[in-house]
Amino acid sequence: MYALSKRSLTNTVVKFQPIVSKQLGLISYNSQRYISSKDLTPKPLETDFPLMSQKTASSPIDYALTSLDSIANWARKSSFWPVTFGLACCAVEMMHVSTPRYDQDRLGIIFRASPRQSDIMIVAGTVTNKMAPALRQVYDQMPDPRWVISMGSCANGGGYYHYSYSVVRGCDRIVPVDVYVPGCPPTAEALMYGVFQLQKKMMKTRITRLWYRS
Amino acid sequence: MSTSIVRTIKNIYKSGIRRALWQIQTHNDTKSGWLVGEDDYGNKYYETDNAEEIHLRTRWVEYNDRWTQIDISKVEPGWHYWLGYGTNTIPPNLTGDEKVTRAYPLPEKHKPNLTNTSGAFVTYNTAKPKHTAWEPKVSERV
Repeated sequence: MYALSKRSLTNTVVKFQPIVSKQLGLISYNSQRYISSKDLTPKPLETDFPLMSQKTASSPIDYALTSLDSIANWARKSSFWPVTFGLACCAVEMMHVSTPRYDQDRLGIIFRASPRQSDIMIVAGTVTNKMAPALRQVYDQMPDPRWVISMGSCANGGGYYHYSYSVVRGCDRIVPVDVYVPGCPPTAEALMYGVFQLQKKMMKTRITRLWYRS
Repeated sequence: MSTSIVRTIKNIYKSGIRRALWQIQTHNDTKSGWLVGEDDYGNKYYETDNAEEIHLRTRWVEYNDRWTQIDISKVEPGWHYWLGYGTNTIPPNLTGDEKVTRAYPLPEKHKPNLTNTSGAFVTYNTAKPKHTAWEPKVSERV
């Protein structure tokens, strides 16, 4: 009864609204922009200090340590062992990377069945709420240093299932992600490009900064 | 990569020791073929019809910046299509209908992927912020 009366009241208001607003001139669609283009352009921030990887070597010890770093990084990027977290159709493209056309073995990429033996996790597909604890547990079981590649729209941000009640809106809500590969699903070539980007990122890591900073 | 040592020696002889060493470093293989073309950046594209080569490994690119910047995004789209065996016609030889007409044309100069550099794309907001930070102002006491 109450709902009915309330609805009828709303209807009356809606019916009279145009008249009222026309008289008072309340409807004014403002087409002007509030912010100038200058404010929209990304500016260098105070917090944009150079990263350790962007610094150039200046002293002999820098040269020695960066060389040691690059040896360790070269070893890491050349034995790129991912744990396969295939969840959906993206996993099929991930399998294509291991087949002869793209042939991941020539790059030293070997899929491991156990997270304890792997360095990289490729999250390929839709992460559901039910799968989320398992995903995090697999990530936690991986030994350091570890990296994560988020593959496909669903893993990047929910994708097609973004508004579903049972899907995580991006696997970066659960694990820290290094490389996002866009696509639905990304081609095998796109995933390989993501792998190369991650290898570049690995090569830029300054490991010895843990003990020495100039 | 075929495993024939005769082929490797032949290719080293054709390419010269310096280029062959560079190829082993970057391609994990020695290759020899003819130069098909060069794009605006100076990346060189090669092809071979050697029967010893593995299927679909007969076209390759040698980048302009040969030692440091190895990145497939430096290859222009037309050349990339040729590298992937989508077509046998190289982009400079395309005529008339073969050229792609795009509703939103590509920029004149091909832009490589700038991820991991200072030129990387950063998202920014175009909507009016719903909240503004409080700017405390202390007025002078009378």
